[in-house]
Amino acid sequence: MTTMKTDPVLLEILSNKAIATAEEMGYALQRTGRTLYVKETADFGTALVKPDGKFFAYPAAIGVSGFIDLDCGPSIRAVKDLAPGDVIITNHPYASEGLATHTPDLHLIQPYFHGGRIVCYGWSFIHISDVGGAVPSSISPRSREVYQEGFLIPPMKLRRGGELNPDFLTLFLANCRTPETNLGDIRAMLAALEVGRRRVDEMIRQHGLDVFLQAQEDIVAYTARRARDALRRLADGRYEFWDYLDDDLATGIPLRVRVAVTIRGGEAEVDYTGTDPQVMAAYNIPTGGKRHPWLTLKLVHFVCTMDRGIPLNEGLFQPVHVIAPSGSIVNPEFPAATGVRHAAAIRVNDALNGALAKAAPDLVPACNGGVTIPVVLAEATGATGQRNVIVIEPMIGGMGARKGHDGVDGRDSSISNLANNPLETVEADAAIEVIDYAVRPDSGGAGQWRGGNGLVLTFRVLSDGASVLGRGMERFRFQPYGVAGGMPGASARTVLSMGGPDERELGKIDMLDLKAGDVVTVMTPGGGGWGDPLERDPEAVLADVRRGFVSAEAAARDYGVVVRAGRLDAAATAARRQAAPPRPAEAFSFGPERAAWERVFDDRRAVALNAALEPLPVAQRQHERRRAILAVVPELADDPKAILANALRDAAARGRRLDAELARLGAGRVGRAAE
Amino acid sequence: MTQQAASARCRVGIDVGGTFTDFVLTETATGGLTYFKEPSVPADPSLAVERGMLGLLERARMSPADVELVVHGTTLGVNAIIQRRGARVALVASRGNRDVLEIARCRMPSSYDLHAGKEEPLVPRDLAFEIAARGRADGSAALEPADAEIAALAERIAAAEVSAVAVMLLNSYANPALERRVAEGLRARLPGVLVSCSADVWPEIREYERALVATLNAYIHPLLDRYYTTLRERMDRIGVRAPLYITASNGGSLSLDSARARPIETAMSGPASGVVAAARTSALAERPRIITFDMGGTSSDIAVSEGGEPEYTTRTMIGDFPLVLPVVNVSSIGAGGGSLVWVDRQGVLKVGPDSAGADPGPICYRRGGTEPTVTDCYVATGIIDPAAFLGGRMTLDRDAAVAALGRIAGAIGIAGPDAAARAAESALAVATARMATELFKGLAQRGLDPRRFALVPFGGAGPTHSNLLAEEARLDTIVVPPAPGTFCAMGAILADIKRDYVRTVRSRLDVALAHRLSELFGELAHEARAWLDREGDIVGATAMRYGADMRYAGQAYELPVALPAMTGGVDAAAIAELFHEAHERVYGFRDAGSPIEITTVRLGIAGKVPPVAAPRRTPAAGAPEPHASRPVFHRGSWIEAKVYRRAALGPGAAFAGPALVEQEDTTTWVLPGWRARVDAADNIHIARD
Repeated sequence: MTTMKTDPVLLEILSNKAIATAEEMGYALQRTGRTLYVKETADFGTALVKPDGKFFAYPAAIGVSGFIDLDCGPSIRAVKDLAPGDVIITNHPYASEGLATHTPDLHLIQPYFHGGRIVCYGWSFIHISDVGGAVPSSISPRSREVYQEGFLIPPMKLRRGGELNPDFLTLFLANCRTPETNLGDIRAMLAALEVGRRRVDEMIRQHGLDVFLQAQEDIVAYTARRARDALRRLADGRYEFWDYLDDDLATGIPLRVRVAVTIRGGEAEVDYTGTDPQVMAAYNIPTGGKRHPWLTLKLVHFVCTMDRGIPLNEGLFQPVHVIAPSGSIVNPEFPAATGVRHAAAIRVNDALNGALAKAAPDLVPACNGGVTIPVVLAEATGATGQRNVIVIEPMIGGMGARKGHDGVDGRDSSISNLANNPLETVEADAAIEVIDYAVRPDSGGAGQWRGGNGLVLTFRVLSDGASVLGRGMERFRFQPYGVAGGMPGASARTVLSMGGPDERELGKIDMLDLKAGDVVTVMTPGGGGWGDPLERDPEAVLADVRRGFVSAEAAARDYGVVVRAGRLDAAATAARRQAAPPRPAEAFSFGPERAAWERVFDDRRAVALNAALEPLPVAQRQHERRRAILAVVPELADDPKAILANALRDAAARGRRLDAELARLGAGRVGRAAE
Repeated sequence: MTQQAASARCRVGIDVGGTFTDFVLTETATGGLTYFKEPSVPADPSLAVERGMLGLLERARMSPADVELVVHGTTLGVNAIIQRRGARVALVASRGNRDVLEIARCRMPSSYDLHAGKEEPLVPRDLAFEIAARGRADGSAALEPADAEIAALAERIAAAEVSAVAVMLLNSYANPALERRVAEGLRARLPGVLVSCSADVWPEIREYERALVATLNAYIHPLLDRYYTTLRERMDRIGVRAPLYITASNGGSLSLDSARARPIETAMSGPASGVVAAARTSALAERPRIITFDMGGTSSDIAVSEGGEPEYTTRTMIGDFPLVLPVVNVSSIGAGGGSLVWVDRQGVLKVGPDSAGADPGPICYRRGGTEPTVTDCYVATGIIDPAAFLGGRMTLDRDAAVAALGRIAGAIGIAGPDAAARAAESALAVATARMATELFKGLAQRGLDPRRFALVPFGGAGPTHSNLLAEEARLDTIVVPPAPGTFCAMGAILADIKRDYVRTVRSRLDVALAHRLSELFGELAHEARAWLDREGDIVGATAMRYGADMRYAGQAYELPVALPAMTGGVDAAAIAELFHEAHERVYGFRDAGSPIEITTVRLGIAGKVPPVAAPRRTPAAGAPEPHASRPVFHRGSWIEAKVYRRAALGPGAAFAGPALVEQEDTTTWVLPGWRARVDAADNIHIARD
């Protein structure tokens, strides 16, 4: 462990100044940035960067919260002869080795000079509106290659000695759908970097260069010490966990993220070996195979929960080591598409959360709802054929329960913590009427501590020619898991004409055309429960029933609590709880779809399959994998939304079929050896 | 008023704080000021007002009949919201929308904290009722309840035994009639229960925020209603029959009747009043651009005022909740006098965010505090004289402060004879650096350069710390007002009668809209005047402020733009240009080709209260005589600072730092390298030498 040389007063002062500088950069950017991503969703970032490319100061309160561990090093090293006034630009997920993780994220790096040498760098990034490519906004889950996702900029000089490179700008802006906004955003990022330069100059003038350079190291070392202390709250050991995306978009084949976390004395190794290969959709997370923010987010949240107020910088991650196998969705090979990598990142987060819940079941919550479903309405406006496209609501689920605390209803900070849209502005801007926007009762996983309920949105379309576009439709199949005997949260649903004679389950929506009067309902998952629901205080169940969070039927069925006419029937409750069959002491519960899938695709076979595919070139790997799985479950080829519990009834026969496929791929021996 | 004027000779401003209730009396003719502090009585706050009023009048040699106006500020409302001690409230919402408070805006307070919960809704879900009533965006009714449904709802609410009801129906901002009908139906059937109607309190689009305004209003109404009744009775009993006004969050004041009807408009008045007083200081001191620096026990706050007008915001937090009413924009920048000084497990020196508060307070107060605070650092470094605190009414325990800071010194590796003083100075440096960086950030958010502003400190510790902050933040000027410790009470006297009005428009700016705006502003102005006419007869001249929130079509964010008088003819092109200019100023670009949308129109009315004469004295010649000198620990060594009594510093007095100026409610610390000068309005200007 590094020892800190800066005195404890100066360290506190310089740490605060550096963080405040990063935040002030953020405010400068936010004020002048032009895209909606800046103004509405705070999808931008600023930081101060050590000469090695890692962050030593990161804002606590402005911009995206999750990018603390990005690495500017490869981008800096890719550009030669940096001089004062130069600024590096890149959006290339592979050439930047995961600094940019999808093409609309434009990253700028400016070397800050003092006395002829680089003393640190400033960093700013914005998710800009569009960088060209196949679709407006440049990202579509259906992209297969990063080339479809817009104009690629390997790390290069945007500005040389204070002069913007006009040829670059002309070429770049000619390849974007929103050149003027993009230029505005670039200027906002440059303005932020200028704020950083000025403040760094002032710090050096006030405290001296040597103090400033030493402080960078010590600020990071200080955070690392605190992070190790926090990680010691996790018991030493190896914790394996996996979770699934419902499918890979092209077929109904589920996508698995597998993680093994090894904790030893405040150090954590996070190993994604066994995670499924990269896919022919934009779900791949480009990480360069290194420790990367998308792969460690939950661990950092754990540290920040145990130690509130810990200064945010690379030191948080110094005790963390990551293994991300090449060619997997957590370390794809060029040129796999990455546009919707956050969809996979959510599940990475959930898998890591499960491993941590094993290590510290009393501190870590059950699974969050784990979705962001922007319900997008496209409606025809007038004769021009132009479409009015608006997000009705960005729908999220509920949060997982934890020991001693119910999960939060209708919120989920784990993903982007976006604000919703007021119904009144939505109704003013689109021809719909929102009939119901409410907490979804009975969707939170039952438990001694109840999982947070998801949300329900029901709206009526008032004009013909409108369609609903589905994005982020996840957790329809695999439910948010419960912990320590708690039950999983309900899965997501979409329904047409709910409660009407022509009610129809829609499942995942890609695009749904509607006529005036149609009524659409979207329901998000609840969070997982914590602990045995039969242990829940009957008064707490009664309060939930009175407040309508849990129905009387669910109270009786899941909690063994009998509520009649708003009153607790204590005798009936005691009898019911007594009569309940003993529950398996399962730590986690996942719901029927996962159970059905894993009766065939158990962990051993899934690992063996991926291991057998590994020697193949990436393109062939994807092909062979699909072939093998569809040979076992041909139903998924015909119906990607197939219910696994129905399709996989004959698990034993399917398992034998899978073993044959494994043998064909040369994995037979591996599979048998493990048996 | 004319009848009263014969005898009425003074106005009184009152600020009820947690520890003290502050009073300022101003003589109408001369502007002469009298200050008074009375210990607060948290269990019965108006008792302290009664006692203090008598003490104040005695000190000023006035009688209760001499008082022509009482303006009063209280934190009762905001404290009830923060501590959740408000009324049991029911919410009535449109069918399908009862979870409006439960869902809120879907955001969690922290993305990092796995253990963070959401705010407890003000109305539990079983007290949130639905009714088949809602409007459309165009103002028409989409669902209208039968009277029987309203009656049935009233019965359910009656059974729930609530003391107030908030009604918020979807789209009521566009037409309040339906909401009013439901509310009136409930009022008629629920005697003694306040029914607060969202569009009557604040008819702005966005149902959650509007529901919150109505709910908060209902939540604090019963408490404040009782308080105001008692207060009025007590004033009457001691013979103070002057009209009673209540300070508002927008820096104005309201008649007692208005404050009773809409208590939420007064909830954030405490910090606003200080800024109003500072804006007045700014005018008297001829420093049009100021940053206020209010340093109290638990935190220090800043606000900006330009040209005598404080900056407002429509995005602030009250406890856990966002508030969209226009309020004076006050933001916290860090430590207060009670903030704790401590050393973390890694041996790093920290100040705050925890505070010793008023109880037990700093160690040197001898009230059982065991952890050193910022105030203990002032005492240990000699900035505060333990014998002269509160005019000598309270002797501070310097030895205990030094001993505790000695332990801090040990924990961070400082040794030697001056270890405690070094630790104290280090802690002040840590606190100051944090304040300066937060101040920069706050001004950066507003797009302002702090160096063009003068700092106006107030609060008990403001003048003590302001020079340290100015030096760290490289500000050039500080203006210390005459009575910084009772500044909020001063602001109360100065407040005009003010109310804000809002209407949602959401239309593209064109000639047709310009006509509609003219009509709309005409209606609002009419409504505002009618209100002001009922606010009492102290009102003099009337001023209107017009404004609109505007954006380029497709933008998701709006910019407030001040408009010229809008009741005559209105020129769409001129409005557009005002927006382009504002956008360029704040965001650095204009988009001349884009259509412009107006989302919200705003009108503020101010009934001017006849101005208080400013006490101006003729400058006296000659340097003032210090009454003493004492060592202060500064930059690692003890330096000898001259000590002046504030009362002995007449206009024109000038002296150089290091110097200390002592007065009953604060100590002003003037650093070496800075010079102080007293102006004709008794402000001390401190500037770099």
